[in-house]
Amino acid sequence: MIWLVAMPRSLLLFFFVRLCTESNPTRTTIFERGVTSLEHAYDAVVIGAGNGGLTAAATMAKAGKSVLLLEQHNLPGGFATSFVRGRFEFEPSLHELCDVGSPENPGEVRRLLQDTLGIQAEFLPVPEAYRLITTAEGKENLNVVMPFGVKEFVDQMEAYVPGSRKSMERFLSLCESIMAALAYIGASGGKADAKVLMKEHANFLKCGGYSVSRILSALHMPKKAQRILCAYWCYVGVSTKELNFALFAAMLYKYLTKGAWIPRMRSHELSTALEMRVRELGGEIWYNTKAEQILTENGRVTGVKTSRGEIKTAHVLACCSPNAVFGDMMEFSDIPQQQTRMVNARRIGARGFVVYLGLNRTADELGLKDYSYFIYESMDTVKEAARADGFNNHPMQATVCLNRANPDCSPPGTCIMSFTTLYNKDVWGSVPAADYVSKKREVAEHMIRDFERQVGVSLTPYIEEIEIATPVTMARYTLNPEGAMYAYSCGGWDTMLPRLMMLKEDQIVPGIRFAGGYGPRIYGYSSTYLNGELTAKLTLADMKEAGE
Amino acid sequence: MNDFNFHVKPIGLMDMLYFKKMVPARQKALSCGSAEPFSAERGANKLAALLHPKEQRLTIAEVIRHGADAKTFVLTGEPLAPFRAGQYLSFRLTIGSSVLTRPYSISSSPKWASEGKYAVTIKRQMDGFASPWILDHWKAGDAVTASGPEGTFCYEPLRDTKRVIGLAGGCGITPFLSMAYAIRDGIEDFELTLLYGSRKECDILYHGELAKIAKETSKVKVVNILSDEQKEGYEYGFITAERIRAACGGEVCSVFLCGPAAMYAFVDKELEKLGLERKYIRHELYPAPASPAKIPGYPGIANGTLTLSVRLYAETKNVPMRADETVLTALERAGITVPSRCRGGECGFCRTRVISGEVFLPEALDHRRMADLAAGYIHPCCSYPLGNLSIEVWPE
Repeated sequence: MIWLVAMPRSLLLFFFVRLCTESNPTRTTIFERGVTSLEHAYDAVVIGAGNGGLTAAATMAKAGKSVLLLEQHNLPGGFATSFVRGRFEFEPSLHELCDVGSPENPGEVRRLLQDTLGIQAEFLPVPEAYRLITTAEGKENLNVVMPFGVKEFVDQMEAYVPGSRKSMERFLSLCESIMAALAYIGASGGKADAKVLMKEHANFLKCGGYSVSRILSALHMPKKAQRILCAYWCYVGVSTKELNFALFAAMLYKYLTKGAWIPRMRSHELSTALEMRVRELGGEIWYNTKAEQILTENGRVTGVKTSRGEIKTAHVLACCSPNAVFGDMMEFSDIPQQQTRMVNARRIGARGFVVYLGLNRTADELGLKDYSYFIYESMDTVKEAARADGFNNHPMQATVCLNRANPDCSPPGTCIMSFTTLYNKDVWGSVPAADYVSKKREVAEHMIRDFERQVGVSLTPYIEEIEIATPVTMARYTLNPEGAMYAYSCGGWDTMLPRLMMLKEDQIVPGIRFAGGYGPRIYGYSSTYLNGELTAKLTLADMKEAGE
Repeated sequence: MNDFNFHVKPIGLMDMLYFKKMVPARQKALSCGSAEPFSAERGANKLAALLHPKEQRLTIAEVIRHGADAKTFVLTGEPLAPFRAGQYLSFRLTIGSSVLTRPYSISSSPKWASEGKYAVTIKRQMDGFASPWILDHWKAGDAVTASGPEGTFCYEPLRDTKRVIGLAGGCGITPFLSMAYAIRDGIEDFELTLLYGSRKECDILYHGELAKIAKETSKVKVVNILSDEQKEGYEYGFITAERIRAACGGEVCSVFLCGPAAMYAFVDKELEKLGLERKYIRHELYPAPASPAKIPGYPGIANGTLTLSVRLYAETKNVPMRADETVLTALERAGITVPSRCRGGECGFCRTRVISGEVFLPEALDHRRMADLAAGYIHPCCSYPLGNLSIEVWPE
């Protein structure tokens, strides 16, 4: 799962004026001020210490606001964590981070985490973009490896699909138009000139509203090239007929120009670094503490009731689902009808299933040459997405051999793999409890065997540790509805651009904003960090407006 | 930029209008959602709550004696979380002013859980704190609180060989008993050969029960080994490499171990002689020793009283801490109920932030995440203080 997107952070400026929010690092916390436990009051309360919540809390604290971060679990990160089995430490969900870039050519995420928030973390580059294998297309089956780098990608595509170069160049030209338009919109400080957009960024406006399939057809891209180009579709989890072109193009372009990166000590390294930074900046973090109720008066947030007592605040930044906030933490009668309609209208995003293997042979010994493998029955993504509606014997998989980017991630002589598939419906929720373990194993076995067959390797005899996470596991740790990994689907009408253009009207209850995967920049690691920052900045703007 | 006049529809302006429609389309879709309260039918969340309850309130339905020093407690509750044979429950106990946890393997068949029953078998540890108290106090009708089922000491066909050699010592038979039941009841499908070490015949737990299961299914075999008594029908001595090799019958087999630390120390050496790859050897975790004095590499003096400064949400408390006990024990004696389950460093529930001070964490019990190690987090269940300590915890 996944690791997305990648609109410039400057795009934020399209929607509000940048605030002067430099921190006052010597600010005292509520404890140091000697306030007793009954009188907790914070400028803001963040619910959930996932990527978005951690980033939001750090951003608020950096702006000199007192902030309390609540987390029901005993450690930070949400999906961005790690777990240990035997002598292996597994990465639960990250495949690769988008928009990190090298220190010399940093992307938005590296700039946010390292420059703006000042966290310490070591990123390692992923060697190649992907190996893509399709298995049920007969003579059309694909088995290709695509590199990072714009030129390298286009050249490799031409080698696989002679005659694709022109359409690929046009595709990349559209990518550049999208990036340039977004940069212009960002730099305009919220005053983008429609005439300038139409004159200088016409291609952005002409392609930005359509689906990926529609644009690739309009570019007359050879079918095979289209199929190879769309391998990353499962990182968003909606078919290319539903997937917004601007979103996909921005993601792919970022991967090609900035590469993909992973933290050395699993994503728990980033979560821990952010957690420590929140504290350094004067923020407070409470683990094992559940936000039970959001208190409102006259439709405005006044506090949060927790398992530890009541906290006064006028601003809640929720790094959890709107279903949890409006379904579990507020009385139905206190929720404006428009808000209820909004939550009910949205489609729960893909649920993840992951098999983790600690193998007692090296990647070389096993013949695992690549880091990232996509194995689909076909590149008919509509069909493929439909297969994810239920159980099937050959689930699509996005598989990683972690050692290929992080050679020392496991002890000498071993390696780590993870196999991820997606479900578009709550099928795991209807598995009888008595069959749960065997069903997990059955799906895991299908995925491992498919991989062995398609890549031509043998893994099973070398399994030293195995763990399996299902949507039920993810529901346990994140409390997301149906264990969703991809928050609300960004297919069709609910894609990123309109979400960003509706920031103001999406906020119905004053004082509640959503960081994390349910935020405007959609789900995926990179997006959730950026959502956290965006949500904090919007909240700071709210505060400024209210004269706080 | 290699710009070109792109269009999808015949006239580019129509494409721009299409772009403009994104917002109204989303507005319309959002306004069409139902105005009814959100559906509670979220299967994955319900199943997660059933499989992984934060705690389970149980009633002691029956107490079964095994000689003078062990008892089986049959526990009932509704509903009970299903478990995998080999898993344990962590019980929350209040003994005097101490609030503590203890993990005990479930000894009953997984089938029982669906009928609202678990069993745990607890043996008196002579110098123990909790087990004597439990054996002396728990009685039928009492209410007890346990965690959901935890632990990974389970058979896994994708990883383990079809034939598993179980090496049990003393009360370490309990997870294997559950596995044997699971095989008999058709819940697990593997062959289990048990080498069960006891001092004397009378110390063998579930002697008759195990013999009965071995008669009911050919997949379970039991070899009783007595160390302190020579008796007909029993092997005499210890769980040696020879005996393990014989049980394997020339095949490579997965070997599971559960028993006291002394048994692990002996059997691990024997297993080395077999030259098995690490994947074939699995230890049930064992609780950290009460005192660090005899742990190899311990640099402290294991003597004296120290101060543990504990940051708890809104306040800081100073509590006394003995130099020869774990940080978790000091917290528990002070009545601070930090989360803990396995008490052997593995589960990570007790993850705690060190503000200042040093601890000793035995390498064999150190299962911390790399980033936690780097950031100074500890698992207090297996951390021994090397001086005064200041920590932050978040009690449940």
